[in-house]
Amino acid sequence: MSNQVATLSAESITLKEETPGQIIFKRFRRHKLAMISLGVITLIFLLSLFVKYIAPYKADDLQVGNYFLPFGAKDLDTGKIHLLGTDHIGRDYFSRLLYAGRISLSVALFSVFISELIGIVVGAYAGFYGGLLDNVLMRFVEFLITVPSLPLLLIISSMLLQNPDLIPIPAPILWVMGKVTLLRPNDARQAVLIIAVLAGLGWMTAAQLMRGMVLSLREQTFVEASRSMGASNFHIIFRHMIPNAMAPIIVDASLGMAGYVVAEAALSFLGFGIRDPIPTWGNMLAATQEFMFDKPWLPLIPGLPIFLCSLSFNFIGDGLRDALDPRLKM
Amino acid sequence: MSAYLIRRFFQMVLVVFLSAVASYTLLNFAPGGPLAGLGQVSQSARFRITEEDIARIRQYFELDLVLPVRFSRWFIGEPRGPLSIAGHEFFSGLVVGCRIPVQENVLDNKGSYVTRTVGCKEDVTLGDLVGRRTSRGVLFFDFGLSWTTMRDRPVSVLLLSRLPNTLRLLGIELILSLIIGIPLGIYSAVKQYSRFDYFFTTMAFMGSSMPTFFFGILMILFFSVIPKIAGLPYLPPGSAEAVRDYIIPWVGTIKAGSLADQILHVILPCLVLVFVSVSGWSRFIRASMLDVLRQDYVRTARAKGLTERVVIIKHALRNALIPFVTIIVFSLPGLFGGALITETVFSWPGMGRLYVQALGNSDYPVNMAILFITAVLTVIATLMRDVLYTVVDPRIRFN
Repeated sequence: MSNQVATLSAESITLKEETPGQIIFKRFRRHKLAMISLGVITLIFLLSLFVKYIAPYKADDLQVGNYFLPFGAKDLDTGKIHLLGTDHIGRDYFSRLLYAGRISLSVALFSVFISELIGIVVGAYAGFYGGLLDNVLMRFVEFLITVPSLPLLLIISSMLLQNPDLIPIPAPILWVMGKVTLLRPNDARQAVLIIAVLAGLGWMTAAQLMRGMVLSLREQTFVEASRSMGASNFHIIFRHMIPNAMAPIIVDASLGMAGYVVAEAALSFLGFGIRDPIPTWGNMLAATQEFMFDKPWLPLIPGLPIFLCSLSFNFIGDGLRDALDPRLKM
Repeated sequence: MSAYLIRRFFQMVLVVFLSAVASYTLLNFAPGGPLAGLGQVSQSARFRITEEDIARIRQYFELDLVLPVRFSRWFIGEPRGPLSIAGHEFFSGLVVGCRIPVQENVLDNKGSYVTRTVGCKEDVTLGDLVGRRTSRGVLFFDFGLSWTTMRDRPVSVLLLSRLPNTLRLLGIELILSLIIGIPLGIYSAVKQYSRFDYFFTTMAFMGSSMPTFFFGILMILFFSVIPKIAGLPYLPPGSAEAVRDYIIPWVGTIKAGSLADQILHVILPCLVLVFVSVSGWSRFIRASMLDVLRQDYVRTARAKGLTERVVIIKHALRNALIPFVTIIVFSLPGLFGGALITETVFSWPGMGRLYVQALGNSDYPVNMAILFITAVLTVIATLMRDVLYTVVDPRIRFN
């Protein structure tokens, strides 16, 4: 009898154990706008992933004479439908939009990955070892953060793009990038250069965040415990510091995605990013801006996904910040 | 204090020098440039360009000097000739460059011909520099001559012609953003979790995620293109002032260049910039206000029985504005450099658009000048921030 009571109460009292992942997801789910944004981003990513099967045309398929076709116009030769019409030189706008998404998102994704990686390594190193190197590095980072970044981005990317021999890119990287963005290796060079420029000027916040985290973690007892058990610096940095400092880095990465999508579009828009036959949202916008007075949908269509991506990634970052570390909330 | 300032001054000089070196070297790797077209021109027999012509053009652009010498002449205007002490000239034979390089086409390992410089037919010595046109040096605000945008006119003239437009646009924007942004942020922080706060934070979020080029195009569409088609009053979509008089429905004829014309032109770009910076700044104010409202001294003030109005304005706001110093001070370089994207979208003839145009035309002296001045202003802004912080917040000390 008493036995039965014990089992009953134990079942009703104890909570089901939750993994940290479940707890975080539960908290993330509470942020409604972030959940909606996650849905939007997933949709855009899926469209970009399966672009080959969805897009009716190739990105650079020209049809002479079929300029400015309206929405849903039917192609007389093939019977295929131009869902969003065609642009000023007769390319299917819907297909271009999808291919552009693939390129814009891959550029942003790679840039985020590389810049966070650099930031983590530099920040952890500077924070852990301190000293002169830390001083010089952080002064440099501080200066780069305060200087207006767009002029720098423009000048570097314009020079790199015009002068392909300045930095030779190994063929395997071009090949991989070509596979990812569905471009010929020679065209993928532009994407690689833009990634390099964006990541090269974008790693500073991650480094500052990482350094701050490492500085505070360095004083924690578990680090001391690990050191007293004979752990090497390398072990401490990679097994204790970096995993524990991941929360702000993940938030920064999500906000960074928003920033890079916009930055890449801005570069292409101003004419110093990826150039025309290759579609990106930014250069589609730039190319059709002049027709906005009589065909305003042409620049609006590529502008919308830029805005959506930027907004969604910002909301996701906000939601992640709430979920991962409530103390970080602004 | 003075020791601190002196140390900071030397740091500033170092940073300015390094950024000058960086921008100069960067741009000297740049392709294009004044000699890019010469190779093609010399193909045709009638207009064949001689070696001497090329040497003259190279001399005009100082491309015949080695990089450090060229940089030094660009930066401080020296050396102008041999070192002369008490009537004697030293180092006049020192080789500082190459007037006519020997070039040959070499087959590279990929099987294509590349032109490579292999030697020098005629050297330039320090003595040859006497009588050459020199700038007084960038450090003394002489940025040399523009190459393409306004050919052979001083860059500083070009910059000064664009600066008023940018100052007008960004000055109005700065003042409006302050007037709108600060009260919005405060109100939203004081009424945290109210309906207004939710609406405001969402709007501010949208504003800070909105790419300016997209927003600009939307604005042109809604306030310029559609009303114009519909026959309603519309705003001019671009440029700083009209070329000829125009008629706006219900308002009447607007004279080109008049005050009304200028105001109408500034509205749209200003709206875009204000929207973006208000969303950023008011979010910032809101966060810092929320932070301050949680402090003990605010509770003390309330406990003393002060009215909520006094608590917020006298006790909370003044402290919440401290971190705002950073934002204000760092809008200084922006005020000079202009808004690249917005100015381009609205074809506003300011510094930002000049920068983009110059970059597109390979007019590198202009870019270098703008970059350099921006860097200097940034450094000054950093110093101003640090000094101002100690003024507005006595808890912070120099060290």
